[in-house]
Amino acid sequence: MTTTPWPYPSQTDRTHRLSADVVVLGGGIAGCMAAIAAARKGQSVILVDKGAVKRSGAGGSGCDHWESAATNPCSRVTPEELTQAMLDDNDGYNNAISHYIECREGWDRLLDIEEMGGKIRDDQDEFSGAAFRDEESKLLFAYDYRNRFTLRIWGTTFKPAMLNECRRLGVTIVERVMVTSLLTEGGQCGARCIGATGLHTRTGAFYVFTGKAIVMALSRPARIWLFSSAHPGLCEFRPLSCIGDGHAMGWRAGAEFTMMEKSVRAQFSSAGRSFPPYSTGNNHNTWYAATLIDATGREIPYADRDGNLLSRVEERYLPAKGQHYFLKGGSIEQAKYEFEGPETLPYEQLNAQGYRLPFYADLSTLPELERKAIWGFMVGQEGKTQVPVYQHFTRAGFDPTRHVLQCYGVGWTSAEFLPQERQLFGLPGGFMNDWNLMTNLPGLFVCGDALFASNCYGHAAATGSYAGRKAAAYAQSASLLSADEAQVCQERARVYAPLTADPQNGVSWKELNEAIAKAMQNYCGEIKRDELLQSGVELLSRYEREVVPEAYAANPHELTRLLEVFDILTVAQLILQSCLKRRETCPKLEFYRTDAPCGAPAPFIVIRNDNGVVRTRTVPLDYAGDLRDNYEKHNADYLSELEEKRRGTKA
Amino acid sequence: MEQKLEFAFRQTMPAQPLHFDESKCVGCHACMEACMIDVMTPGEEGHPPVVSFPDECWYCGCCVMECQTGAITLRHPLMNQTRWVEKASLKKE
Repeated sequence: MTTTPWPYPSQTDRTHRLSADVVVLGGGIAGCMAAIAAARKGQSVILVDKGAVKRSGAGGSGCDHWESAATNPCSRVTPEELTQAMLDDNDGYNNAISHYIECREGWDRLLDIEEMGGKIRDDQDEFSGAAFRDEESKLLFAYDYRNRFTLRIWGTTFKPAMLNECRRLGVTIVERVMVTSLLTEGGQCGARCIGATGLHTRTGAFYVFTGKAIVMALSRPARIWLFSSAHPGLCEFRPLSCIGDGHAMGWRAGAEFTMMEKSVRAQFSSAGRSFPPYSTGNNHNTWYAATLIDATGREIPYADRDGNLLSRVEERYLPAKGQHYFLKGGSIEQAKYEFEGPETLPYEQLNAQGYRLPFYADLSTLPELERKAIWGFMVGQEGKTQVPVYQHFTRAGFDPTRHVLQCYGVGWTSAEFLPQERQLFGLPGGFMNDWNLMTNLPGLFVCGDALFASNCYGHAAATGSYAGRKAAAYAQSASLLSADEAQVCQERARVYAPLTADPQNGVSWKELNEAIAKAMQNYCGEIKRDELLQSGVELLSRYEREVVPEAYAANPHELTRLLEVFDILTVAQLILQSCLKRRETCPKLEFYRTDAPCGAPAPFIVIRNDNGVVRTRTVPLDYAGDLRDNYEKHNADYLSELEEKRRGTKA
Repeated sequence: MEQKLEFAFRQTMPAQPLHFDESKCVGCHACMEACMIDVMTPGEEGHPPVVSFPDECWYCGCCVMECQTGAITLRHPLMNQTRWVEKASLKKE
């Protein structure tokens, strides 16, 4: 055991109390945009972040494309069409409200971010004349070049710009503080949310935040099924510290969740199984539409949705004959026929035709501007690619005109995964929301990855800003309540307990996380059955009862990691309970029971904890109602402000 | 020539993500402050921070992006180093 002294002073005897009109939990893309929107409405705002806001969150290191900006001046698809497509493509198991906000307001947020100093246009004319460039606006597009609703962006510039804007607006930024619980009126489960508690990850100081409105902008859960004690940082696609604390504290406080029974076979990272995202050859997302070649250098054909081979590179970016537009992107793996875009032939067909593994991505034969758009621009602006991939490979001599990058697996994936290696990816479950992005807990608003069926950067930014302005409106007529001291004391005791546990007997965060992940692979893998799920419930509740109270942490950093794993344990139980409640197989939720057949399309199952009792209700898949009507009814102020701004710009 | 070698205990590292060039590092610790995971803790004045939690690195590269003197190299674990080849080296059928 190490005897090196901890480098920061201990402040476990201190409680910092901070209040504001709006308290935003999580300083990622959604949290920053929420804080900015609330502050612009004249509200005092506190923004709490576990890391440092400049580069924290899933999008802090960058982002290369912004999906579904249907109101940008070049788009040929309406927000209504695009949201409906996302709903149809998922048989309705999607968040109509949040994705309509993404489609309707995404472009407004890009303009906002541009004003803050983020780069969204090719103003240096690097890509003049490219098929994906609009010469007038200098915007660059990805995927469907005819319909132009997804933009290529310089995402590494965004997060620092948001931080500056938060500072300029006087947002109180509290960094290196992990949010540990939600505070509710009178300390009651299911009551109005009035604040949150936090732990300083370096000093161990305790924080009590109170606000008239609270915005939940923490991440989606992770490391539920996947863990490597050697490489915990490589377990998932998103950062190590983004593991769904918000879901866990929301569940404990009585918030409603939906679609938590959905999980998908791993696609990225998987406890180190895959290679660094976007570092391997593929033709997906950042790499769309790179040429693939086989082990002998033979080019793998692209085909349209009808199987017609596409002979020219330009055709890979266009809808099929008679098709309005196609969908590609973060949450679309295999679009339905109506929305299916060009793709390389499936492996079975390639194998039968004598194509040989391994395959490689070959940029050398692409038109020069397409090659530069992928290698250098997108691989360079995407999260985790500027240094680890672009800079690294370039220094090591990689030349995209000469070298080809290996694909691992048989298509665009960067590894082969096992069915029980699962992730919350591809529109996973999360907090249930209404048209104000408020949860069932009055005063608790939700955005970004905390929402059910969340996906990408644009969704995070658009819903963050929306939740921020709705929280600001709520705060204007709400009172500031004091925290319930019994609730605060109980949370403080829970948070600090591991620091005084027995180091010899208490398990570490790694041992507990590994045990949870193994349990979930065993009892909540690809196949679901009541007895299996019930065994998982029993095992995890035993961990909760017997292991958690004795778990040990030596310092505030380790304590943060351990509290995260406690949250992972809570979320794992929420997932098991959600699985038990869905009685039929539902392919679109990737939910397969071997003890029940595929049923008729079933509604959302909404689940909550009511003082230890699990309660559910069903909600129709179309609960959002008419999207345009409802949006406009709920956002008259925003629309008139937008109109005023447009008139001002024209004048 | 025969030589008597000395032994010591050490922690076996599955990976060492960050390497500092001490001749370039000015000890500003901007890298440490940028890291959202907080994998580093303060080092001695004028020297690089200590990489105290190397296994928690998620290899985002933000510490390198933040470094004004180019003192940091980020290295993926060996198993994660992607392979590429000269296209001309692929054997035609």
